[in-house]
Amino acid sequence: MFKTSKICLGAVALSFMFVSTVVYAGEIRIGITMRMVSENGQKYGRMMMDEIDIINKAGGINGNKIVATLMNDECKSDKGVANANKLISQKKVHLLIGSSCSSVTLPIVAVTAKAKVPQIVPHSTNAKITKLGSAWVFRVPVSGRFYAGVNAKYVGENIGKRIAYICAADAASQNDCNAMQAQMRSQHGVEPAYTVQVQEKEVDFRTHMQKIKSNNVDGIMIAALAETMARALIQSYEAGIDESVRRIGSSSASNAPVPKIAGDAVKNVFFAAAYAAADKRPIARLFNEMVRERYGIHAPDHDFSQAYDLIRIVEIALNNANLKLDGYSLADDRVAIRNAIAGIRNYQGLASGPISFCLDPSPVCRDGNRTAVLIGYTKGGEQFETEVLARVTMPLDFGL
Amino acid sequence: MIELLTRINNSISALTRVHRLLPWLLAYLLLLPLPKLLEFGISDYYIDLANRACLFILLCVGLNIVKGFCGQVTVGHIGLYAIGAVSSALLSLNYGLSFWVSAPFAVLITGFAGIIVGLPSVRLEGAYLALATLGLGESVRIMIAVTPALGSSTGIMLIPAPAIGDFVFDSFERYYYLVMTAAVVGIYLSFAILRSATGRAFQAIREDPIAASVVGINVNMYKLLAFVISALYAGLGGALFAHMPPGYIHHNNFTIIEMITLLLMVVLGGIGNIWGGVIGAIVVTVIYDQTKEYYFYQPLIFGISMVLLVVFMPRGIGGLIERKIVKQKFIKQHEDKEIGIA
Repeated sequence: MFKTSKICLGAVALSFMFVSTVVYAGEIRIGITMRMVSENGQKYGRMMMDEIDIINKAGGINGNKIVATLMNDECKSDKGVANANKLISQKKVHLLIGSSCSSVTLPIVAVTAKAKVPQIVPHSTNAKITKLGSAWVFRVPVSGRFYAGVNAKYVGENIGKRIAYICAADAASQNDCNAMQAQMRSQHGVEPAYTVQVQEKEVDFRTHMQKIKSNNVDGIMIAALAETMARALIQSYEAGIDESVRRIGSSSASNAPVPKIAGDAVKNVFFAAAYAAADKRPIARLFNEMVRERYGIHAPDHDFSQAYDLIRIVEIALNNANLKLDGYSLADDRVAIRNAIAGIRNYQGLASGPISFCLDPSPVCRDGNRTAVLIGYTKGGEQFETEVLARVTMPLDFGL
Repeated sequence: MIELLTRINNSISALTRVHRLLPWLLAYLLLLPLPKLLEFGISDYYIDLANRACLFILLCVGLNIVKGFCGQVTVGHIGLYAIGAVSSALLSLNYGLSFWVSAPFAVLITGFAGIIVGLPSVRLEGAYLALATLGLGESVRIMIAVTPALGSSTGIMLIPAPAIGDFVFDSFERYYYLVMTAAVVGIYLSFAILRSATGRAFQAIREDPIAASVVGINVNMYKLLAFVISALYAGLGGALFAHMPPGYIHHNNFTIIEMITLLLMVVLGGIGNIWGGVIGAIVVTVIYDQTKEYYFYQPLIFGISMVLLVVFMPRGIGGLIERKIVKQKFIKQHEDKEIGIA
């Protein structure tokens, strides 16, 4: 009796393993790997899943349901790669979405290229992602190479040329910082007045702020993740640096925790992003309202809008792709989806500019959005407010 | 189950009597076709999972030498793993060395780093040693994070996969043969160390350092040796991790969370029990993988498991199995004796 129950238990465990690998025909499988550890990070992922649910409830894609699997990569490359492997080899996904962090997206590019699975990037801005030359990767956000050009142009023409840099050690901030310095050199011929690299989660910037104060700079660029940036902004005022010295944020300045934590210290901070909650277009107003109602967010940042735009782009591509979905056509369907995404031209959504892709595996074709919007904070705190300073579209081959 | 394990144990003992390497050779041969079985039977994703389990086995077995055999509390093992990974990656990329040259160099470099991590053990014990090693381990990660030459924020990319002639270990299946071999050799060497005079000296220090020194054991030297041997394992694990496809490492791979996961594996398996470390590495890797979609509860599950294990199963799964096998053996011997008397 005992032996029989053990055999049954073993059989159940084995069948569980098999069931977890079984794939079904007539469904479109999408794998999502994202940084689901921060409060907003979870909401970006949740929004994607909710939007996919809405598509399914409206009848799916040409009658086929989308089955999405969301995984947390904790912003760690090994976990991201493991997720990608699992989604591709076990879940047999047709399309991979991910990741939030550039340091995770970078190694996943090699995985999707080898497995020949289309990958679409929701948030990562590091320019190297598309420079790897993979034929399977597409990027929805504005690449770091464009942000730097926009920032440097605005800073050099409107603020001054003596700029101090505080650069945190995360991939996106490093990229933003280095690219900005390079652009200031090439556009205005100036070297940084002061530059320092700090840890990803640094808490004490006072020494650096005192040095920056004694350097009489025109502006301070703080390139860091949201919480770190907020701390640095507060401490810049505590150090007595006048508000006439403009604070320049990196791409993560658009994340809601920055104005919430920094409070009034965020006033006059400006940054380049892919979406402005202050956008007056009806589509943006409706989106702001929807995010407020659904997720309790006062003003959505560009990571929300990019997650939303990405799902819309995927929806268009899936509708345009001639998918067989017959259980034997996985490789063909993956190619069809890749080609359909490459066929997206001038998608007009929430993003700062139109998003276009093409088939050539170069950054020119794969960095979809090249329009950055310059946004300034006019009020900090929970009910923060922003204004649009400028909207700049960069040449396709800029920064290559 | 215990009966089966006892039988396996007896069979291994019988094989060992023929030649001490025979059971290892047999185990190795049995593990060789695993990728084919997984690929056709279940999913080739599990080969990747097996590779990661093998890497963790190597790390756990190494950690067990210093923590389990020698009784030194170290929380800096992940820093050594990072040194091995970064050294091998940079030697390969900057000097064009093949894996077969860069990995041994990386192992040696990590061995030297092991001396530095082990130095506080001469003066410190328990929680103080844990804090010192934690600091050293974390400073390695921070140094990597802020040094562009060590990969800094973007990490080190395009690390070449190992190759023998035209045979490149660039797929999960091919890499399995490499990491599995390393894991089996690592386990074997760990047993060899445990049975040697050095292993006995480690255990004597673990039980009572003063008594060990009284019987002529150079306590400080053996403590450092334990750290160095453990570092060699971490160095090899790191090198294998760096060259594993897609050949990318980042300082976020070596945080305190990874160290805690490693400790959980060792504690779950059983501190001081070599097979326990192996079991712990496999169990945690599989559970982590199977609960991926429930990421909200993952940290909670792992945290509670750790507390419950320490309270209710301090010797881990390995200790539990070992106790059952010993008990079974005792009963059998007792029964044999009774039959003999009768």
